[in-house]
Amino acid sequence: MTAAHVEPLARAAGNKLPRAPRKWQSKALLAVFVAYVVGVVWSWMYIDMTLLTLFGGFTELWNLVVDMVPPNFDNMRVVLKATVETIWMALIGTTACVVLSIPLAFMAARNTTPNPVVFAVARAIITLTRALPTLVLAAVLTLPLGIGPLPGLLALAIHSIGMVGKLFTEAVENTEAMSREAVTSTGAGKWQTVLATLVPQVTPSFIGTALYRLDINLRESAVLGFVGAGGVGFVVQQHLRSLDYQRAIAAVGVIFVVITLIEVVSTRLRASIIGDHLSSPTKKTPRTMARERRDHRLLVDAVTTRRLTPPWTYERLVRSSAGIIYLVLIVVAFATIDIPYLSALGLGDEVIDSFGRLFPPDFTTAGPELWQGIRETVAIGFIATTLGLVISVPLGILSARNIVVNRFVYGTTRLFMLALRGLPELIVAVLFVAAMGLGPVPGTLALTVGTATFVAKLIGDALEEVSPEPREAVFATGASRAQEFVTSVIPQALPNLVSQTLYMLDVNLRSSTVLGIIGGGGIGFLLLSALRVLQEPTVGAIVIVIFVIVYSIELIGTFVRWLVE
Amino acid sequence: MTTVLSGGADPLISLTGVSKRFPNGTLALDNVSMTVPKGQLLSLIGLSGSGKSTLMRHLNGLHKPTAGTVKVFGVEVSSASSKQLRDVRRNVGFVFQQFGLVGRATCLENVLSGALGRLRGPRYGVWSYPRTLRREAFDHLERVGLAPQAYQRADTLSGGQMQRVAIARTIMQQPQLLLADEPVASLDPESSAQVLELLLKVATEDKMTVIVTLHQVELALGWAHRIVGLRDGRVVLDQDARGLSQTDVMEVYRRVDRESELLATPSTPAAAPITERQRA
Repeated sequence: MTAAHVEPLARAAGNKLPRAPRKWQSKALLAVFVAYVVGVVWSWMYIDMTLLTLFGGFTELWNLVVDMVPPNFDNMRVVLKATVETIWMALIGTTACVVLSIPLAFMAARNTTPNPVVFAVARAIITLTRALPTLVLAAVLTLPLGIGPLPGLLALAIHSIGMVGKLFTEAVENTEAMSREAVTSTGAGKWQTVLATLVPQVTPSFIGTALYRLDINLRESAVLGFVGAGGVGFVVQQHLRSLDYQRAIAAVGVIFVVITLIEVVSTRLRASIIGDHLSSPTKKTPRTMARERRDHRLLVDAVTTRRLTPPWTYERLVRSSAGIIYLVLIVVAFATIDIPYLSALGLGDEVIDSFGRLFPPDFTTAGPELWQGIRETVAIGFIATTLGLVISVPLGILSARNIVVNRFVYGTTRLFMLALRGLPELIVAVLFVAAMGLGPVPGTLALTVGTATFVAKLIGDALEEVSPEPREAVFATGASRAQEFVTSVIPQALPNLVSQTLYMLDVNLRSSTVLGIIGGGGIGFLLLSALRVLQEPTVGAIVIVIFVIVYSIELIGTFVRWLVE
Repeated sequence: MTTVLSGGADPLISLTGVSKRFPNGTLALDNVSMTVPKGQLLSLIGLSGSGKSTLMRHLNGLHKPTAGTVKVFGVEVSSASSKQLRDVRRNVGFVFQQFGLVGRATCLENVLSGALGRLRGPRYGVWSYPRTLRREAFDHLERVGLAPQAYQRADTLSGGQMQRVAIARTIMQQPQLLLADEPVASLDPESSAQVLELLLKVATEDKMTVIVTLHQVELALGWAHRIVGLRDGRVVLDQDARGLSQTDVMEVYRRVDRESELLATPSTPAAAPITERQRA
């Protein structure tokens, strides 16, 4: 009686009540769970990881750390030059990707697509470009284009279309249609209407996405040197090969600083561009107040004198200078990066030629190794995901301000995680390989660390946002801190776990296909050796295998997410 | 039914036997015929869902009729080429209930977009419009009392102010015909009176022909030359506003009210979610 009474009320209040899943769906979900557990156990046995190798790994890592101290900075000129090249590659690659993604997004968005065929083609391009990891793409592109930044930045540009194009499309689809109808009604043409109504709406989110991708591409660009596709990765690899750990760590340090700095700048820019000045919580400092007064005066002046151009308010100044700085940087990047533009024009045919030589793919020459590579790749992905998630839980809890009362513990954990996340995963992996030798274990550990720190940050943030009321209710019954945590915090945070696991599995499988390139186990190693001896049909086979692995995990992920919903 | 004012020498608008069936099967307009002479102020009344908005959207080609013909300025809108359609639209101002402003753009830019029909090529940002047009846009903002807000983003304004910017955009178009689809339905009573007064003042000063849908019957009676009532897509009232009493007009609403209650089929899209929620 009471229950029947409460239910409609809860719905009226907009509360989501869990819908009982249909029967076959819960069975399928159970099957997926069992398959996952079986996968993990099999992987663990396959890679032959024991807790002993894990702890052994840590002593070896410690030895490496000892070898690296003190860092040797006397090779800085070379490192800095390579770092600048890394930045230019990321900048040009991202710009190229944005330029390609804008028309694609308008073709792939339901509300702007000209016709169903264009729609389908644009969607397909966006999906397919994501499927080959940047490093694989770059490695294959070095065949026709040779060593240097050109294959690297092309790989960045192509691979990024998948994410950038998808987010751009969503931005276009999320625009409101009222203003479009209104401006069409004034007699404006199709393009006039799009430019007057859609573009102002999507620009902030386009720029935000581009900046976000720039961060990612910078990290990717730092490791492209591992396959000779330009940038600072090459220098790190050289020093590690010659066992010059002190110089290697100096280069890694530079990478870390540059990535962190650019991330800070782009995060602030993103906040100022996307940040709606209506909703942004304005902290009143004397400086911002002076700024507001100046802006106000400018606006009043502009309308009383009827200025026909917008006044230079703080916001406009920031945006315009950011735009000018970007333009200057991109010009400098194009002018100074080491690309033979003239001969590059003729390289188009060669690219097509050399892709032609990848076919028909040869699955037999590398047959057994190929099979082994696939299994190793999948195993690394499974272990890194599971182990990373397990470790991330305590790490995440330690980094939540509202749960760990001790400020020192909270602070150190966050700092430790920040340092580890600041480095691209493959740089961490290459250091682990240097410490522990070739094989799947260092690669797995590197991915584990990456997963653990990434998820721990999410857990920490999520826990800090968990609503306090249920906790208070439990405390009020006299529960202990641990009891309270188990009964109220975990259930609230649980729904995200499934989708997070899927996401990490996706990311880690992608990463583990390229780990082998630096000796971290998996199919990447085969790719590199086939490239070295120019066995193009084998390269074709490996590329197809990688494509299939990545694409199937994406399909599985979509299916499971659909099941959960 | 006495139609006093329709059928002038040169009707600006003429509809003959217009029906509109949407792909989902709804019959929004059912054999509507009427003519509107130049300079007339016409008020469309009827419940939401009675076909008022659909009728308006036929007049500038946003919708195409399933049957019948729609002629505006002598052009057959239903079969017009896209260039002809642009010409028609340029001369038809449309004021929407939800304003249809670009929130992220400044008021001045929003007003300027009203001039796009006169210009060739895409424009982006205030600077891309000729200076004379910028000056003109300022004048129009002044006319609606919002010149001080020229360089503010449209989404920083109140609802009444937004609708005034939308009106300024319409004046920018210099239209002969003004269509206003419940222009004050989402405003509070005080600003809705102000906005409506402004709209009509501007329209009469600039000698526009006006068709406006309104819920406020007294307002409609107060200024309109002619009242047309719609119910379920059919014209059920078409009279000179003089000599028409409020109770006469209210009949249009009441009859529909009772009928829809009896049939228990809410034809109003706005009402449907509520009933669903009640059922749940």
